[in-house]
Amino acid sequence: MLKLTTGALALGLAALLGAAGPAAAQKEIKIGVIYDLTGPFAAGGSKAAAVGTQIAIDMINEKGGVEGYKVVPVNADAQSKGDVAINEAERLLNDAKVDMLMGVFSSAHCVPMAAKVDAAKKFMWANVCVASAVFKDKNLKYVFRGQVHSDQFGEASCQFIADNAKSKLGMDVKDVRVAIIHEDGPYGAGVAKGNKEKCESLGMKIVHEEGYAATSTDLSALVTKLRRASPDVILHTGYNPDITLFLRQSKDAGLKWKALIGHGAGYGQIDKLMATFGKDADYIYNVDPVAAQLLDPKTLKPGLGDITAEMVKRYKAQTGASEVPPHASMGFNQSWYFFTDVLPRAIKTHGGIDPEALRKAALETDIPEGGTIQGYGVKFNPPGHPMAGQNARSSPVVMQYIGGETKIAWPTALKTIDPVLPLPKGHTYAR
Amino acid sequence: MDCALDIFFLEAVLNGLLLAGLLALLALGLNLVFGVIDVVWICYAELVMVGMYAIFHFHKVVGLPLPVAMALGILVVAVAGVILHAVVIRPVLDTPPINQLLVTGGVLFFLQAAATMAFGVEFKNIGVQLGSVSFADMYFSWNRILTFVVALAIVLVLWQFLRRTFVGTAIRAVSQDRQIMPLMGVDTRQIYLITSAIGGGLAGLAATLMVLQFDIYPQIGLQFGPLVFMICVLGGLGSMVGGFVAAFIIAQFITIGGSCFATEWGYAVAFLFFMVIIFIRPQGLFGGKV
Repeated sequence: MLKLTTGALALGLAALLGAAGPAAAQKEIKIGVIYDLTGPFAAGGSKAAAVGTQIAIDMINEKGGVEGYKVVPVNADAQSKGDVAINEAERLLNDAKVDMLMGVFSSAHCVPMAAKVDAAKKFMWANVCVASAVFKDKNLKYVFRGQVHSDQFGEASCQFIADNAKSKLGMDVKDVRVAIIHEDGPYGAGVAKGNKEKCESLGMKIVHEEGYAATSTDLSALVTKLRRASPDVILHTGYNPDITLFLRQSKDAGLKWKALIGHGAGYGQIDKLMATFGKDADYIYNVDPVAAQLLDPKTLKPGLGDITAEMVKRYKAQTGASEVPPHASMGFNQSWYFFTDVLPRAIKTHGGIDPEALRKAALETDIPEGGTIQGYGVKFNPPGHPMAGQNARSSPVVMQYIGGETKIAWPTALKTIDPVLPLPKGHTYAR
Repeated sequence: MDCALDIFFLEAVLNGLLLAGLLALLALGLNLVFGVIDVVWICYAELVMVGMYAIFHFHKVVGLPLPVAMALGILVVAVAGVILHAVVIRPVLDTPPINQLLVTGGVLFFLQAAATMAFGVEFKNIGVQLGSVSFADMYFSWNRILTFVVALAIVLVLWQFLRRTFVGTAIRAVSQDRQIMPLMGVDTRQIYLITSAIGGGLAGLAATLMVLQFDIYPQIGLQFGPLVFMICVLGGLGSMVGGFVAAFIIAQFITIGGSCFATEWGYAVAFLFFMVIIFIRPQGLFGGKV
């Protein structure tokens, strides 16, 4: 009896091992995930995006992976340095032999990296960087980005002001005085270019425009010039620590405005702004792809609301944060529809995960508006297009911080508040 | 060019003076150490960063009153200066200058990495703002005014210390001739340690003023380090007076240049001026002959 039982156990064990065999040999897609985990960009949103991407990978693997493939991230820290980012990309592709690259926070890293990866005919999926220069007139074939691009950031803030000039500011659009200030990398310069073109096309007066290094030790000269120019609206694109330096020195120098509109990065970190400036951070605007949790799930494809809720839950649990910044949504969202839309099609229809299959699958992506957790749809511009590889359906929103909470102020279809404009009397920066 | 001689221009000039106070204070400790020990602490700005984190920790985490936290911050960096000398500098004192630069460069990266591990990548601040004062439609930050006053005061105090005390006299003597002074009974090892403590303490003092103006993050040293080093070289490495004068010159280039042209032009013109001076006087404005 004992022998029989032992034999049966041995058989059972063998059967179990046999069943486990294929699972142990599960196919893998190795993805090089590059973010800035140290250095100034880390706290400027890169780390939040990295957490978002990792949550997407975890959730996909918990569902059993993608068409039999387990997603294996090989994480790399770009250290907020362009040369490190490029070296890490090369190491991941050539030494770690990853199947593709994903992530990338800084546009300054994204521009050279995308060109290099494309020339090597490897596949890159950019999650966060926004500079239009990544794609503009480059005709990239193996690099794709679902994220909003910098021209759109620049256009959104100007359009928001134009839409509200008469009703809120009591001014004709042509009388609105606008200052455009920005860090001088591809990200800041790209958004500023979009600002300038759009605001000018709407007839606004650009009273001052200036770039500066994000590592500047002093912005008092810039603040003094802004006081001299006396703009109604300041459009600012920066990282950290330049944003906090600007706000501090503006306060000390008595610079006043009717509206301050930031464009992502440091302005996307509401909890940091509130911690540093308290009530002074109230009523700041931020242009960014929307933080997914702010959208009404009813406006999205069924089931996406639950995905967002799960992401938010995990993000808060992992970071201890009370507010989930837009960067977490960016890191998650881009990864999520890659895993649920592009990758399955590459494997099923195009025969695998090589760059050619991934590229073909990406070009066939056709997600309508409301089909991603950030609301926008996804359809990539084809080769030959001036912005080949860029999502043609992405769109940003204008958010406003009120009482430590983030509200959507624009576009009208999505807005959750009537924007507070101009700054109310008594506010530190109010005229 | 946007350089009308109006009230805003005057404000830029005066803001340049106040910025000079901060830069001069930062240059002071580095120059003292080089003048006496003949070693450049490339990691000097990272010592300031250590001081800023120490103040943040004592004030925001431990809960000590800010003045106490600041005093402890100065103490921490002074001790760090002594440790830096005893552990890192002393073994390479008689080696070529490049070795000394490399080891202090190594300390720079070590301190950045250690701060990242200990405090994370998030920007920290102590949440204190002193506000500003305005007159004639010009605004000046109390932080910068305080920094300027402290910088002037500390130069006078240090001057008196070096002129009127026995230890100060010994420090000056060692700085003039490192080989002879041991024969006169001066323990140079002790003088080096005291100088390192003072140099560290000055970095700590700079940290107390910088926490009122800047966010704290592991790479803040890179924001100031190159500029401070340039000021020291421009003034003449080791010359405290030279460093002070150079800080005022560079600060004016930054603010007036930034005011008349673009902000970045201010820095560009400052560096151009630096290069021209170094071509003409390689030893710097107040340095001895090379």
